[in-house]
Amino acid sequence: MSLSDLMLIERLLDEVEKPARYLGGEMNAIIKEKQPGDLRFAFCFPDTYEIAMSHLGMKILYDILNAQPHIICERVCMPWVDMIEGLRREQVSLFSLETRTSLHAFDIVGFTLQYEMSFTNILEMLDLGGIKQRNEDRGESDPIVVAGGPNAANPEPLSMFIDAFMMGDGESLIVELSQTVRTMRQTGARREEILYALSKIEGVYVPRFYEAAYNKDGTLACFSPNRQGAPESVRKRIELDLENAPYPTGFLVPYTQIIHDRIVLEIMRGCTRGCRFCQAGMLYRPVRERSLDRLYGLAEKLVQNTGYEEISLSSLSSGDYPCLEELIQGLMERFREKRVSVSLPSMRLDSLVKQSLEETSQVKKSGLTLAPEAGTQRLRDVINKGVTEEDLMRAVTDAFESGWSAVKLYFMIGLPTETQEDLEGIADLAKKVVDCYYRVPKQQRAPGLRVTVSVSTFVPKPFTPFQWFGQDDLETIRGKQAFLRDRLRIKGVQFNWHDAELSFLEACVARGDRRMGEVILAAWRSGCRLDSWREHFKFANWLKAFEECGLDPAFYANRLREYSEILPWSFVDIGVTGKYLQLEDERARAGIVTPDCRGDCQGCGLRRFEGVCTA
Amino acid sequence: MKMWVVFSVGQRLRHIGHLDLMRAMQRALRRSGLDVCYSQGFSPHINLSLASPLPVGMAGDREVMEVPMQSLIPPETFKQRLNDALPIALRVISCHHRPDDEQAAMAQVCAAQYVFEFMDDADRLLAGVPEYLKRVSIPAIRKSKKGDVAFDIRPLIFNLFTKEGKLYATLALSQTGTAKPLTVLETLADFVGIPTPRAIATRTGLLTSCFGPLEAI
Repeated sequence: MSLSDLMLIERLLDEVEKPARYLGGEMNAIIKEKQPGDLRFAFCFPDTYEIAMSHLGMKILYDILNAQPHIICERVCMPWVDMIEGLRREQVSLFSLETRTSLHAFDIVGFTLQYEMSFTNILEMLDLGGIKQRNEDRGESDPIVVAGGPNAANPEPLSMFIDAFMMGDGESLIVELSQTVRTMRQTGARREEILYALSKIEGVYVPRFYEAAYNKDGTLACFSPNRQGAPESVRKRIELDLENAPYPTGFLVPYTQIIHDRIVLEIMRGCTRGCRFCQAGMLYRPVRERSLDRLYGLAEKLVQNTGYEEISLSSLSSGDYPCLEELIQGLMERFREKRVSVSLPSMRLDSLVKQSLEETSQVKKSGLTLAPEAGTQRLRDVINKGVTEEDLMRAVTDAFESGWSAVKLYFMIGLPTETQEDLEGIADLAKKVVDCYYRVPKQQRAPGLRVTVSVSTFVPKPFTPFQWFGQDDLETIRGKQAFLRDRLRIKGVQFNWHDAELSFLEACVARGDRRMGEVILAAWRSGCRLDSWREHFKFANWLKAFEECGLDPAFYANRLREYSEILPWSFVDIGVTGKYLQLEDERARAGIVTPDCRGDCQGCGLRRFEGVCTA
Repeated sequence: MKMWVVFSVGQRLRHIGHLDLMRAMQRALRRSGLDVCYSQGFSPHINLSLASPLPVGMAGDREVMEVPMQSLIPPETFKQRLNDALPIALRVISCHHRPDDEQAAMAQVCAAQYVFEFMDDADRLLAGVPEYLKRVSIPAIRKSKKGDVAFDIRPLIFNLFTKEGKLYATLALSQTGTAKPLTVLETLADFVGIPTPRAIATRTGLLTSCFGPLEAI
């Protein structure tokens, strides 16, 4: 970047809101001087700095890439609207946090795909970074644009823009991909050949080597490689040995406050519960754990290197970690002297034990969050959320008796087979929780009961048993929200609900095909970006974008799909088989629960992978 | 026992806020393992204080922080260990033992020195300094909770001069009166009759009532 551009950035920083977002230079940021032959990787997070810096995957991969010889990884985040406007006005390229290098000067530009409604941000970042948005328009000197993360499991909606997708765990894959690009660039290989070589790496999908054809009704007629050698099916990568997989010991410590401003210790990856609505539960299989010793060792180094005052445990289901109590105890003993507290997120309520509640509250009393997801036992059985009302009541009573007074309850509406009774059930549960509180003697309970009932709209996702299901239409959702709003006028209860429109579009994009790219591009052209920020969400523009592209959003969101239909993501082998997902869907309809597969293999398909679930 | 720490905030960090800087220092002290005092309660923290909040947008050459200590540590050791734990843009310059019963650093600050480097043409502005200073009173506006308050900024300007295209200022900074560097710049530009040129300002030092550096009392 030229000196005058750097000066312009300094000026912009004087103008914008929260300039600390754009500074870099944090504790543990890695700045490597570029040597000839080095590959520069821009790790792009398509949302603002506060969200980006809270993301664990970025911290892991940033460290792994920078630990490699000849690879330099720098971070780039989505700027806020004032900075976007400033960069355009002053004609300054979007830049990296570490060295303020223009995005287009990197060899690889990699996006992490965490949320469908951040896809317009990818187009905005490419445009601000001086990179052509359509992959077919990029030339030999342009960066190779890659993407990974959970949303890469259905890569098709972004297949117009991304050169190569990475499926599954990224630890080894991102290094293989980067080193392949580096060595091939050194030998002067052409872009097409580099991408072809990438398509040979297990877990990589290069959309240009595939073609889709459609039936008259808009469904996929066929999807297949158009270049010999590109694999028919792309299989996700699995880091089998999580214990020894690299984990950062020097988290970046931002100056400005971020969402998760603490040490995050990933104790486990994957979940065997098999909740049928949950995409992460299917995508991140199999379950792998880190040992107590490894976790203590990591925590020791992280506390030393960050100075953070809090450790939180992270996994899809921390309550299922076999030695959870021992771990919490151990961490608290080790760090009491250093005044570091331990917190527990994402607890499943059936694994909540009073003791661990007390353990956490000894250090810090944050709110208790529970996710029954549905209002009745019948519906909880349908979604395979093996939690009973008894579990819930016991958990909240324990919490209230131990001096907690704030409880958050998460529910979904629009789940398959939902009836009026299930909606009533949500309000009933909330009432029962309130009653639990008042049953605890006044001198024992903490004052100020706060029950927050958060209701989101169910979004069917690829690779879940409900991937064929049609989402409730907008009118139905709004009706259900209004019903609940009315029923939840209870003293001490606060009702939150999500934008139905946003969930509707999320459903469109999540299960979109190749043609969805044009819609995203049209939406971006009409000014859509930062869609997940309420003040910037432009629903009407999205609807117009669908219209312009001749596509019907209801086709993607609300239509019930046939089991026989070729789904846009059918060619991806995520581990769990389509056959198993169908079986689970059928069981759901019949109200049959599937037990946790730790006890007994349910045949989800992961065992087809070498070395998986062998114990 | 308490320690006064003189440190710099680099250009790179001129946009972090006061609370951000406090937090960065807290975490650096935690990383350093130095024997500092923690508060009691659920969220124990180090009761450090900064002599004066550094305005957002400004780098600082000689900021002062007061840290309550559990035990006596040689200043040189303290400096080295804290520097090892700080990001590159924050540097400890010197450390000084201070008696517990001494007035807080915050209460002893009376003035601060600043330097402005201009991003826009500032020739006319700089040429106008001598005339500007000749005025007996210079009306200015201060924003307060009750709305705009008019006040005379002239007695709060202790020194103002130019050198090699830069503007140097020594301005009052205390509970009884403060001249904000930006207000001085604005009233000067207004006096000369030009729009306020954009500048990068650095606070170069904090002074006591006898105009000595704070740390040299």
